Amino acid sequence: MIPMIQTAPSGRYRAKHVARSEIVKMVTLRSTAITVGFTIIASLLVTGLVTNAALHHGNRYYFAFDPTQESLVGLIVGCLTGGVFGALLITGEHSSGTIRTTLAATPRRGLLLATKIGVTAGAALVFFELLSFAAFFVGQVVLSAGGAPSAGLGSPGALRAVLMTGVFMALICLMSFGLGLIFRSTAAAIAAFAGVLFVLPLVMHAISEHDVRYLPTNILTNSITATVNQGQGVVSPGVGLGLMAVYAAIALGAGAVLFAKRDA
Amino acid sequence: MITAHSLTKRYGAATAVADLTFEVLPGSVTGFLGPNGSGKSTTMRMIMGLDLPDSGSALIGGKLYSELAWPLREVGAVLDAKAFHPARTARNHLRWLALSNDIPLRRVDEVLDQVGLASVADRRAGKFSLGMSQRLGIAATLLGDPGVLIFDEPVNGLDPEGIRWLRHLLRDLATGGRTVFVSSHLISEMALTADRLVVIGRGRLIAETSVADFVARSGGAVKLVTPDPAAFSAVLSAAGATIGHRDDDARSLTVEGLTAPQIGDFGSRDGLRVHELTPITASLEDAFMELTRDEVEYRPSAGAAATASEREGRR
Repeated sequence: MIPMIQTAPSGRYRAKHVARSEIVKMVTLRSTAITVGFTIIASLLVTGLVTNAALHHGNRYYFAFDPTQESLVGLIVGCLTGGVFGALLITGEHSSGTIRTTLAATPRRGLLLATKIGVTAGAALVFFELLSFAAFFVGQVVLSAGGAPSAGLGSPGALRAVLMTGVFMALICLMSFGLGLIFRSTAAAIAAFAGVLFVLPLVMHAISEHDVRYLPTNILTNSITATVNQGQGVVSPGVGLGLMAVYAAIALGAGAVLFAKRDA
Repeated sequence: MITAHSLTKRYGAATAVADLTFEVLPGSVTGFLGPNGSGKSTTMRMIMGLDLPDSGSALIGGKLYSELAWPLREVGAVLDAKAFHPARTARNHLRWLALSNDIPLRRVDEVLDQVGLASVADRRAGKFSLGMSQRLGIAATLLGDPGVLIFDEPVNGLDPEGIRWLRHLLRDLATGGRTVFVSSHLISEMALTADRLVVIGRGRLIAETSVADFVARSGGAVKLVTPDPAAFSAVLSAAGATIGHRDDDARSLTVEGLTAPQIGDFGSRDGLRVHELTPITASLEDAFMELTRDEVEYRPSAGAAATASEREGRR
């Protein structure tokens, strides 16, 4: 006989319990280490290559040169890996069946999803802010060592660009998480994500060139990371970040509605 | 205690569970028996709040699963042996589960030890055999020492030693006052493990009873061999029994409606000779076949190879 010893704490499970378990889940997956490691290496490598390519040009080249932008566009590759990371956090649960174990442990779906999104957002924000600063400094070191114009955090718009880049990348990650909620399958979610990010701009370019500026990758390269040159054909950084927040909210909202009512 | 009340679930035009009402009581092992595709897994998923019923309700201790204060301290369930991420180690799988319900982390090593997985605790669970996966699932159910345990086909993949171990575990849990609900299509396993049965076919309740009653209900007959079959038949028929005759042996009768002692007493009273008197107890399997004869959804056509369609389980 196994006697019953029922000693449950008072109250009920809350967001902090779900958050602790979600954090352990996140850090105990190999895919987390792989996507994080790859994102760091690829982003900084591209930053190095982009800034290196900006060296040793004639004076005309540096007429409207934006050292901040040069150092941050490398994060575009982080968009892809960050998106994969975001999608995997939820599709990995669905494809492995872990979602049923998760729902058995913490069945209030609203609380579960809100906490999961919170943990994902927090982790992505911290990570991408750090990466964004790292890319900025790596880029500036390459530029100044090569004798090209460089910027500091005190340069006009530079700190704003670096901080917003981190936020933007976290939103990319959340949008991808939302697509993962909608599609549940890793392949479908990543296909949809890559489609929105990298294929839609090409299609849009052919249909209505004017509206390409409203798409995530263009917002990142032309609005968020730029500190000079913000011409007519580009949305402002604030509007760009707002739009990205709306895109992420749409994906998360649709995913949340489906998650709440779908059989697990 | 688990209570299902008028539970109904449809998938498109197909009705998986229809107006199912039953109770699973504490202190005993209740077997959930039914052919493949009869709705056992769907019912368990609805109890767990994973699938939402189209109508009716399933309650645990009077509450919906989603209303439980500390779900893992109240219910432990294995609905799917592989419901963990393959890249995570067994210990890490149990760690996040423990944290989600504020269960002390020392329980992780305790339950790993209890199910015999201590030596492979830091191996990736994706590398586990089906039997080891079942043990990991069982470890997760024990983590919060819950009063209600739900297992969907837990013996699948277990070796004979594992099956024996599980059988004892289920009995021990029930004797401790817990509610233990175990589904199976293996009738012989249920005969050894369960005290009570909930039997369904095509999503409908067929029987809710004790194992003993279930077997008795399908009727016990007595085989009688006598050199005086005609006279004996007349006496027993007069006493209200139904007599069956065998074509190949006129001396052998099958008597229903009277017990072996009663038949022997009649023989002694009337001077009729008895050469053999054998009670034929129906097995649980016979009883099950008898009751679900019309309820089996997937049946091989005559002469065709018996390839059982498996609609239960993961979709």
